[in-house]
Amino acid sequence: MPAKRHAASSTAAPASTTASLSSGPATLKSNSSVFDIAGHVWQQYTANTPQRTLLLDAFMAFLVLVGGIQFVYCVLAGNYPFNAFLSGFSAAVGQFVLTASLRMQISDSGATSSSKPSSKGKNARFADDEEVEEGISHERAFADYIFGSLILHFFCINFIN
Amino acid sequence: MRWCLALLICAFVATVNALSSSGSRLLVVLDETTEKSTYSTLWSDLEARGYDLSFESPKSDKLSLFEHGERAYDHLLILPPKSKGLGPSLTPKHIVDFLNKDGNIVLALSGKSSTSSAVSSLLLEVDIHLANDRSAVVIDHFNYDTISAAEKHDVLLLQRSTPLRPDVKAFFDGEGVLALPRVAPQTLGSDSQLLAPILQAPATAYAYNPKEEIPSPDDIEATGSQLNIVSALQARNSARFTVLGSVEALEDKWFSASVKAPNGKKVPTVNREFARQLTGWTFKETGVVKVGKIEHHLATEGEVAAEDLNPKIYRIKNETVFRIEVSEYSFDKWVPFEVPAEDALQLEFTMLSPFHRLALQPISRTETSTVFGTQFVTPDQHGIFSFRVNYKRPFLTNIEEKHEVTVRHFAHDEYARSWAISGGWVWIAGLWAVIGGFLAFVIVWLYSAPTVNKVKKTQ
Repeated sequence: MPAKRHAASSTAAPASTTASLSSGPATLKSNSSVFDIAGHVWQQYTANTPQRTLLLDAFMAFLVLVGGIQFVYCVLAGNYPFNAFLSGFSAAVGQFVLTASLRMQISDSGATSSSKPSSKGKNARFADDEEVEEGISHERAFADYIFGSLILHFFCINFIN
Repeated sequence: MRWCLALLICAFVATVNALSSSGSRLLVVLDETTEKSTYSTLWSDLEARGYDLSFESPKSDKLSLFEHGERAYDHLLILPPKSKGLGPSLTPKHIVDFLNKDGNIVLALSGKSSTSSAVSSLLLEVDIHLANDRSAVVIDHFNYDTISAAEKHDVLLLQRSTPLRPDVKAFFDGEGVLALPRVAPQTLGSDSQLLAPILQAPATAYAYNPKEEIPSPDDIEATGSQLNIVSALQARNSARFTVLGSVEALEDKWFSASVKAPNGKKVPTVNREFARQLTGWTFKETGVVKVGKIEHHLATEGEVAAEDLNPKIYRIKNETVFRIEVSEYSFDKWVPFEVPAEDALQLEFTMLSPFHRLALQPISRTETSTVFGTQFVTPDQHGIFSFRVNYKRPFLTNIEEKHEVTVRHFAHDEYARSWAISGGWVWIAGLWAVIGGFLAFVIVWLYSAPTVNKVKKTQ
């Protein structure tokens, strides 16, 4: 999953590098090594990502780790209390999905607020017809997230018996 | 009312006095009453054992095995008739009906005169076959009585046989020599499980009609132990039918005779003891098995409360206990039943086919019965099951018990909690790590809010 995220941010990276080409401190040449590119991407990511998004990403990485361990354990040790496996593993997956959607809402609204003048008229209209003006607020998105998570936890604890 | 009570008590007393486990009315079918005196020791022995003997001639008009559609007698002893048949009231159909109504029969044959076709067709009904030449007798040149049959060799001297199979109870064994004059041999049909030989001819014996020439080897149908001297049929309803090849063996003369085998000593016969064993078995004084209490319940420590006995419903994977009490009748009383050494009384827990078939072990013993029991875990399969005990052995009355119970699956709250299963601890830890991580994330998120806002504002 982290690789995917890196891939996603690396596709976004050229835009940012072109944007900060004149003023940015470090520049990439066309013959840079893979490590240089990766290090550059990481730098860009840490420098430009808001703190809450970083926090979200860290939590998602943690969930991937927990889910991965549980899955590997199931493969190695067998699935005997199968409900326990299902509920433990799906708690991690479900939490990941919920966190991912929170991240989408947070970073979407961040993007719309930052690129208001340019892209408001074209793309954003299809995304959020109801709240055309300001998108979903962070507080609303976070409350939804907590609500969904509590439901998920409730089901998982019940199901693990 | 008092009259009724008196009748009831009379009936009760009558059953108590009867020594056989299935009634005491014995009908003896004799050709002529003059013959009666030849067997007087047998009659007195039977009367001493509690039988009410009635004697009838096969031609008698009064003779009827049934009265108002019910058996008029409990047991029947047929001596070979001199005349051609057994008469209109003892046709093979009547006798088979008598067997079907739980009546027991001893049929004696004689090699003196040829066996009548009525008897032969009766025996065919139960798959016992007589020799083609119905006057044939069993001859043995090695085991004969040198005193009475030095020339003809037609008085066989035999040891009482031990059971053919080691897992069958011995009802007819013992010390001593049995004298069997002029035996009419029988052969048994091979595909009937209900037939069993009681006494077989020795390997050196053969059958032929002494009035004719020695048959050519091609004409001999059966020799040696293929010839049965005494054979028995126990019907599915446990009614018993015994064929004795030599009626003369029951005569007073042979009860008290002394015999001498070739190069043997002169010894008294044990015919009287054998007659007791044979009539005792046929008239259900021995080899009668009775099932007493049957209990099944969940395996628990200590005593089981009365309301927990024989429940209608079990759950899968329940530890279950089954107990069955079995008694055996031995001449005049019930004694604890003992399974022969190489046999096993088995319990089946079946739904269409057995899921368990377990040997029942003797657990305790009362004065009159043995309690057999076993313990097992109900299979992981819900449905309508039954406890079955199906014990059918030669010379023992049949046990067929079937007790239905329901086996249900786990109720939702009967599964083991996941923390009780150590294999699930990793996933429990995973779940709580997710929840803990979520809480930590929420707290950090809330504390990080102002800086984000500040960043936004500065932007």
